Amino acid sequence: MKKELLIKEKQAKRTNPLAHVFDDFIDFCQSKSLFMLHYCTGCGAIELPPAMTSRFDMERLGIQPMVTPRQADILLVTGYVSVKTLKRVILTYEQMQAPKYVIGICSCTVNGGMYWQSYATAKKLNDYMPVDVYIAGCMPRPEAVLEGLQRLKENIKNDRKQQKGSAWKEYFANYDTYLGNQQHLFGDDWQTPVDIIAEAKLYGLEGEGTYGKNTEKLAKVQQPLLPQEMKL
Amino acid sequence: MNDLNNKLNDILSRVNGIKITHKRNRRVRVDVPADSLTTLLELIKGQASYVHLSAITCVDWIKDNEFELVYHVWSYEENCLISAHTRIDRDEAKFVSVYDLYKPADFFERDIYEMYGVFFIGSPRMEKFILTEWHGMPPMRKDFDSEAYVQETFNWTEYNPDWLQELTDQGGGIAIKPEDIRLSGCLHNMATHRQRDKLKATQKVGKGWKS
Amino acid sequence: MRPENYQAVQLGESNEYEIFIGPNHPGIEGNYALKLVLDGDIVVKGTTDAGYLHRGFEKLMEGRLWIQNLAIVPRICVPDPAPMEVSYSLAVEEIMGIEAPIRAQWIRVMQLELSRVAAHLFTFGGHAATTGMYTPMYWGVADRDLVLDLFEDFTGGRVYSIYNIPGGVRRELPNGFLEKLSNLLDYLESRQNDYDNLLFTNQIFVQRAKGVGILSKEDALDYGVTGPNLRACGLAFDVRRDDPYLVYDQLDFDIPTQQAGDAWARILVRRDELFQSIRILRQVIEKLPTIKGPIRTPIPNPLSWNVRAGEAYARVESSKGELAYYVVSDGGDKPYRVHVRGPSSMHAVQTLEYLAKGARLEDVAQIMFSLDACPPEVDR
Repeated sequence: MKKELLIKEKQAKRTNPLAHVFDDFIDFCQSKSLFMLHYCTGCGAIELPPAMTSRFDMERLGIQPMVTPRQADILLVTGYVSVKTLKRVILTYEQMQAPKYVIGICSCTVNGGMYWQSYATAKKLNDYMPVDVYIAGCMPRPEAVLEGLQRLKENIKNDRKQQKGSAWKEYFANYDTYLGNQQHLFGDDWQTPVDIIAEAKLYGLEGEGTYGKNTEKLAKVQQPLLPQEMKL
Repeated sequence: MNDLNNKLNDILSRVNGIKITHKRNRRVRVDVPADSLTTLLELIKGQASYVHLSAITCVDWIKDNEFELVYHVWSYEENCLISAHTRIDRDEAKFVSVYDLYKPADFFERDIYEMYGVFFIGSPRMEKFILTEWHGMPPMRKDFDSEAYVQETFNWTEYNPDWLQELTDQGGGIAIKPEDIRLSGCLHNMATHRQRDKLKATQKVGKGWKS
Repeated sequence: MRPENYQAVQLGESNEYEIFIGPNHPGIEGNYALKLVLDGDIVVKGTTDAGYLHRGFEKLMEGRLWIQNLAIVPRICVPDPAPMEVSYSLAVEEIMGIEAPIRAQWIRVMQLELSRVAAHLFTFGGHAATTGMYTPMYWGVADRDLVLDLFEDFTGGRVYSIYNIPGGVRRELPNGFLEKLSNLLDYLESRQNDYDNLLFTNQIFVQRAKGVGILSKEDALDYGVTGPNLRACGLAFDVRRDDPYLVYDQLDFDIPTQQAGDAWARILVRRDELFQSIRILRQVIEKLPTIKGPIRTPIPNPLSWNVRAGEAYARVESSKGELAYYVVSDGGDKPYRVHVRGPSSMHAVQTLEYLAKGARLEDVAQIMFSLDACPPEVDR
């Protein structure tokens, strides 16, 4: 509680016009070098190789594929997410280090797309994790993917002015809602290895929506993740 | 070709209660009672080189209260595909596995077990594979309503941008709302459209394709 | 529920470990997972875990009109969508008792072979990347894009063309298209030497691929393996020749085979097949201008289109193997049942499990890519 107050005081004190210069500089640098983890959840993944390789060349925008979530900045969800995949996507998302950004490619991540009747796919990615940019289309062409990435870069650059590039903070601030939606799909005993509430406390990002009846449910079933015993 | 057909007919006619239809070149349809299906497969694999199990399909005939199992078997030597049809009771959905004869049956039988709930006795892996996170009834059964399930489980994104709002304020807007399309009410609308089109179609095409 | 796959598990007192590869892993083709039991780096047992791409296609199709289904069938196999459309159309045509006009059949052959070329170029790159060679991937994807440009030209779609409908194809070829196609084929043939030097005879690749994932002819037949993977074991079976559809019986082409049955043999078969496809396409270029006539047999209004009761099993040869659609109609305006037999459902599950056993961990990815497994065909 004290910490929260401290942060708020700090923010209130910033009246010097030059105080944000350094922050803006960091945002600028961040937008120029992004590592992208593409989770090939669906069809959209087929347009990523052309976008990444010689013809459309994503690297000229400063974006490069990364193989592990721990070092990635962007999570690309490329297409419909079946319920089974969604579990793994959430797991991946929570493992990523903040600041992190999510891009939903294909119409299916927006609203179910042409699989709206399907019992197996989740319809709104937005319900389960905050999404920064949606790229609609079935499937979007590589040009559209690059356009979407450009948009994300702009958002990151102007984060402090427009508050557009910090959707990831939502996840901490409204964790209860997101968790509720996840529990609705996966059952009440759903638990991931990352302790989001502890992280929110650590970074001072907790809000009123962090706690609620869903997190209470989680606290009841939560088991600590013990390290494996190593033997030789 | 006739020789081959005769030879095949000889072999097939040894099975009890069989009905043979030559559908077209390289396609033979065979209807057998459930208890002589394994005999049939053993015969055509052992004596007529039908070694490739192309697929096993299950069809849910809910009106007859029956499941139809279709075994598509191909011979590399005779270049002919036999589709063996058999029917089993829907309430007591159990059948004998053909894994001993055809290894690919493992995949297809597991698939049918998940999607239709037909249990195959003797199949090596009668467990969940694709639908590990699914707890409802087997979804491919005709009495499972996917649309109703979706309606009660998932939310939809509202799409109401400013330009659309302006149009709606002026009295315009979207004629058919997405939620109307999603609900079965739209099917009714479509049905009336369809009846009208049907009239037109019959006038234009004459007899139509349905014979 | 705790997700079960985020920790390696030691099995009892033994030195064996159980780990997951996938579903999001650079060495996995698509969204697919393998559960491996390892002793050191030798795989003791491999179990596949599918279903990440499950959309319930077969259920969806039962709820949509015959014509609506054409939009969703290509989505079953993303790298090679054309055979899906053609196969579904062929099945519906067989039930209806009609046939596409001869010109439409030639155009379909052209689309199928172009799609095969694109799919094989994609596979070369993927396979090479699992051995640490990334240049073929860049080349393959770039050359595939040229094919996709042609697709865009004559169908309007880059990846999913939705060009076929039961009764024929959707529209006529644009002016000067065959010339463009001919130029592309010239270019691809001129690349043959480069690809050979870079990949197919490159010792770095050959040493990694030779002797990996050996499949004998008997095992291949046992496990229901089809397509290039079967031909790499020495059995010259091709649906195009042995169960001909469209106008393939009028075309002149060879069926390349290899005897070794390992990963290298499989990629060589694909290489030869690519050039056979070019040979077929040349014949199509020669033949197409001489065939005049309609491109579509008329069908009734699609919204009130009842296909008469019946069933059909239509098979085509996709770039992965034998692809089949089993369609049942009860006389209604929607299919009663559609069953998709994807070739990868045989390759990616039982065959992969069989080949992974005894392989080294670093070869598992290569085995999967050498089988050219396409996970959405398994999950549907």
